[in-house]
Amino acid sequence: MNVDIRDTRRSFGKNKAVAGVDLQLGTGVFGLLGPNGAGKTSLLRMLATVLPPTSGEIWLLDRDPRRPAARREIRRRLGYLPQNLGYYPSFTVVEFVEYFALLKEMPSSAVPKAVAEAVERVDLGAKAKARLRTLSGGMLRRVGIAQAIVNDPHLLLLDEPTAGLDPEQRVQFRALLRVLGESATVIVSTHLVEDVGAACSEVALMFAGRIVFRGTPEELTARGGGHGVGDTPLERGYSAVLSAARS
Amino acid sequence: MSVMSVPLPRSARALWLEVKRNAVPYVLPLLAAVFYFDTLRTADGFPPVWTLRASVIPNHMLIEFSAFAGGLAAWAGSREGRRKTLDLVATMPRAAWARLGAALAGALCWLLLAFLAGVAVLYVQTALQATWGGPPLWPVLAGAAGVTVVTVIGFTCGVFFPGRFTAPLVAIGVLVPLQVGFREAVNVNVTASSGTTYALLSPISVPPPVETGVYYHVPPDVPIVQVMFMVGIAVALFGVLSLAPGLRQLASAGGRPLRVAAVTLVACGVAASWTAFALAGTARPDAVGGWQIPALHSAASDQPVPVTPDCTSGSAFQVCVHPAFSFYLDDVAAALDPVAAEIAGLPGAPAGAREVASMSGGQSVWSGISGNPPVFDFAAEHVGTTVGMFDGINSTMYIDSGIIPDAAAWREGFQQGLLDSFLIGPSQHSGFVPLDAAQQAVEDALLIAAGSQPQNPISQMGEKAFPETVAAVSAAARRFAALPASARHAWLAAHLAALRAGAITLAQLP
Repeated sequence: MNVDIRDTRRSFGKNKAVAGVDLQLGTGVFGLLGPNGAGKTSLLRMLATVLPPTSGEIWLLDRDPRRPAARREIRRRLGYLPQNLGYYPSFTVVEFVEYFALLKEMPSSAVPKAVAEAVERVDLGAKAKARLRTLSGGMLRRVGIAQAIVNDPHLLLLDEPTAGLDPEQRVQFRALLRVLGESATVIVSTHLVEDVGAACSEVALMFAGRIVFRGTPEELTARGGGHGVGDTPLERGYSAVLSAARS
Repeated sequence: MSVMSVPLPRSARALWLEVKRNAVPYVLPLLAAVFYFDTLRTADGFPPVWTLRASVIPNHMLIEFSAFAGGLAAWAGSREGRRKTLDLVATMPRAAWARLGAALAGALCWLLLAFLAGVAVLYVQTALQATWGGPPLWPVLAGAAGVTVVTVIGFTCGVFFPGRFTAPLVAIGVLVPLQVGFREAVNVNVTASSGTTYALLSPISVPPPVETGVYYHVPPDVPIVQVMFMVGIAVALFGVLSLAPGLRQLASAGGRPLRVAAVTLVACGVAASWTAFALAGTARPDAVGGWQIPALHSAASDQPVPVTPDCTSGSAFQVCVHPAFSFYLDDVAAALDPVAAEIAGLPGAPAGAREVASMSGGQSVWSGISGNPPVFDFAAEHVGTTVGMFDGINSTMYIDSGIIPDAAAWREGFQQGLLDSFLIGPSQHSGFVPLDAAQQAVEDALLIAAGSQPQNPISQMGEKAFPETVAAVSAAARRFAALPASARHAWLAAHLAALRAGAITLAQLP
């Protein structure tokens, strides 16, 4: 299991952002759905070792992130795209990705090739030497994805990765996710249920800090039979599960 | 796509990225302009004496560089907070310490490079003009330590308080302790009293006496404690930096070994600074106008620097100056020769003039005539009854004190110094001794005969200078100057002893 979390909770004062989550994941693309404030980002930040849980156990890549040495090993194999990606405007695309490759402690000799591949995979080869300040929002998002995958991570955490991407880029990105999911655990937190339907082999729906549904996209679609609201079957399933959780 | 033929180590590559994308180069033109208009022009106004010129490094360069260094370092330090990459970098295995260290080093590399480039320009300019000595290194070290500590302070402020206004606030803020240090230093130079610790720890001070480092080495005692104090602060803050992410986010702390190393750094830095502070508290004035710290002092630096003076040749009245002041040898000779000619052959008249140190054994040395054959001794700092009559210093230092630079006054300073000594008597090294009316009239007459215009005699005559006396002195001086040179000489030969004894009245002057 690349991800093994048991009864994990995280509170911010009186607000329980994550209120007891159990999740065991192997390789594959895992979609994390939920409305605003459901606890998706907090859960992802805990999985990214940014945020320690208030209680519960988290094991990542068969290691306990509470131990510094293990945490360091996890981070070497981790890719993370935060919801609000900051960037350094004076850096070029290649320099930015290279900078994070170095911070991920990749071997120096492997960095140039890995950076070039990551930039190509997000279709930014033509903009490799462009300063980040000159890029559009969608391109910056792709730079963020490039830095997340540059170390060929075993655990890839993507928070709203397709926000700002144009339809063509989203299609390409879903294809990339499927490839990455063959050898790694990819967790995608998103509001866009069509991304989940197209790229994820499994999906969970969070509400009020808890996972209220877990299954395949097809199973989620089936939940919507005649009950939910939405333009697509998956959206109707999503809506139906949420309605049930609220009630 | 950048492809490296030989991969650099991770740290070196990260440092290269930080250097390449640092904000400092954008500000360098402005820094260069400030350097030119303040530091370089100020130095150019000083005589080309190494120690004096080098004093602009801490007194001007450091202030200018500190404001820029503090602000730019704060800008670099606040980058992760301003650009909102804290979450992302917190997931990186590389220790925050190493990451922040690379960013700090990137800014520091540029700032030190710019600082050293400025020093190089200053020293090349001085080397082209100086006639003796070599570039002092301690001001450079103290200045570099100052730039370093201000950079680390600014960077640390940026890390802990990231925001758009951090950089300008730090840029202004770092000037405060520097100005406090300067004010303390001014007080110390004036009073040489207690409470000097901070003044000595601050590299900023008033310009040193013109002959500092000329007759005696400048002991490195004070610069050593300054460097130790500043490096200690920098090391301690670097240790604090490594604790910053641990304080901010438990998950991104670098582990126990890193925290132990950080605490050790903080402890070492504080110990170094505290030691420097304690050492500065033991400083005491040395015998040649500087400061010594007993625990660091080497007796070797108290020994005079052996030199062969530069002397005029081909003239009956030989003038010798320290080779550091060779640039004004001809001016001094041109000033003294006509006056020396007026008194040549008279009892006690000097056969030459030589420059000596203005302090010896903790006492000021004033101009006077001594030796056999008699020689007029003068010090660069104390010529006659005036002080420090150098064109360079006049045009910069003394304007504030109301003394207007004046080439004629400079020339007459030497002439008066010689005549004061001659008229009062040989071996007079005790400083200002007022002349009586007849002595003043004779001195003025000899100055007129030598082609100079006597200054207001009030300063020469002290409390004896009543208005009616001044008018009578002037009339007697004009009368005596109107005599043929041979007549003046003959009268002086006959009445010099009485004149020196104060037994001649104005009415007795021919």
